[in-house]
Amino acid sequence: MKGNKISALEKKMSRQYFILVLPGFIIFTIGLILPLILAIRYSFTTWDGMSPEKPFVGFQNYIDLWKDSDFRNAWWFTIRFTIWNTIIQNIGALLLAVILDAGIRAKKIYRAVFFIPCLISALVVGFVWMKMFSNVLPALNDLLGTEFNFLLFGQKETVLAGLLIANNWQWIGYWMLIYLAGLQSVPGDLYEAAKVDGAGAIKRFFKITIPMLAPAITICVVGITTGSLKVYDLLVSSTRGGPGRASTSVIYQTYTTAINGRQYGYGSAMSVTLVVVLLLVALIQVKGLKKKEVQA
Amino acid sequence: MEKKKVKIKQRIKPGKIVLQIFMTVLALLFLTPIFIIINYSFKTKKELYLNSPLSLPESLNFDNYVKAFDKLDLVTTFGNTLLYTVISVFLLAVLCGVTAWAIARCKRKFFKFCYVYFIVGILIPYQALFLPIYIIGFNLHLTNTRYGIIFMYVATGISFGVFLMNSFMSTVPLELEEAARIDGCSVYRTYFSVVLPLLRPAMATLVIMQAFQIWNDYLLASLYVSKNDLKTLTVSIQSLFSAQSNDYTTAMAAIVISVLPIVILFLALQKYFIKGMTVGAVKG
Repeated sequence: MKGNKISALEKKMSRQYFILVLPGFIIFTIGLILPLILAIRYSFTTWDGMSPEKPFVGFQNYIDLWKDSDFRNAWWFTIRFTIWNTIIQNIGALLLAVILDAGIRAKKIYRAVFFIPCLISALVVGFVWMKMFSNVLPALNDLLGTEFNFLLFGQKETVLAGLLIANNWQWIGYWMLIYLAGLQSVPGDLYEAAKVDGAGAIKRFFKITIPMLAPAITICVVGITTGSLKVYDLLVSSTRGGPGRASTSVIYQTYTTAINGRQYGYGSAMSVTLVVVLLLVALIQVKGLKKKEVQA
Repeated sequence: MEKKKVKIKQRIKPGKIVLQIFMTVLALLFLTPIFIIINYSFKTKKELYLNSPLSLPESLNFDNYVKAFDKLDLVTTFGNTLLYTVISVFLLAVLCGVTAWAIARCKRKFFKFCYVYFIVGILIPYQALFLPIYIIGFNLHLTNTRYGIIFMYVATGISFGVFLMNSFMSTVPLELEEAARIDGCSVYRTYFSVVLPLLRPAMATLVIMQAFQIWNDYLLASLYVSKNDLKTLTVSIQSLFSAQSNDYTTAMAAIVISVLPIVILFLALQKYFIKGMTVGAVKG
């Protein structure tokens, strides 16, 4: 009797839990999983986005992508942007965090200053840096009598550097904050013990700080890489993919192909490629970095 | 206390002073673009063309702000952005809370599946899927509607929200929930009267994290709302950027107006903000 009652209650409770999960589950499925499935489906067609029929072409879109030099260029730009970002932002953020953690005065003010840029929309960041490079910084030349070329967005060779400056200005403070939290969770007596053993500051940094920060490093590396691979907003208001195609990212290229060029099937193949790459990169990085965490 | 004081005194070494100066210079460099934005927002057109970009405006004139109000149709766009952000964040807070709690408490297989399902969602970038997202919106008649864009913000934010709330669930003591159940509370009442009040810090974190992302979103808004009376701030700022790339004093004023609310929110709730961002880093 009693057993029956409990299981009846449990059943009722599971039903109620189920009802709680259901709305979120449905919204998530329609809003994110269904698009993923649709993207895969459309990627096998040459649909133009308007006509009712969606001619099936198998893997033709993917084969075309492989040969598409514009798409390859977009990947090349995105990859370089991602690699540089991952290096600069990680080292920069870690350095700032270590200095802030070293007991300098007015730490909170510095922290807020470095952090505030990431509250600004990437769209605005792109626009502001475009004006910095084209109007504000050249005025420094007049002031100092120097001849620096600050028009970084104007040339193919320098556009990447300019975008890296803008992107790092925006995000370095964000990752710094994560490293800072990681540093604060390192027990102080570890350092004391190392000091007693005669380990110098540099040795302490590489033997204690870095291994103890492993979880934070995982988060930052994965976050920066996947974030950089998705770059789009920053370009819309600054370089618009130019000059030429020098700063066209994968998403930017997808946007122009699909929305402006009305090639939905082909654009979907681009989307699917990007999703697959992003998932793979995230998984490989998490796996690789987690391994290091365990060893440490 | 005494010990701490001694430590601080010991710490003032030449090396520390160098670091302090280095950080100050760096902080000033970081602030330069922000200073430039504010500086430009007060300049007149004449000052923009004739004076050096680095010079200060001769007087504080708010003309650009008045113009920005007009050009951005600010009452509408600011109102829209605020409405979308507030409603989406509210829905996310409610949905992520109940979903994460149910997943954490019910041990059935379906709920375990749900956990994985939502977590995988964090790794699926909606930015890469904007095309089918647009197509679905178009077919379901969600584009150019207020509920459509709100629906998309909720759908794209929910997986991170569930993950975040889930990591806070261990802070809710099970005994309290059991006591409520013995008193005859249903699952729903247990959540709203016992669990929810305990989740307040987690909720604050969730709200801030999502609010600033939705407030700054451009891609989804540009896809989903093209009608003038539904536009968001970022979308109309972008049209202002491309329409008036020469006279950008108005654009700078518009930037100040659009950034201000989120900076104020950050400065007021810094503590929760930092907690929310670091929950992942500490948990690993």
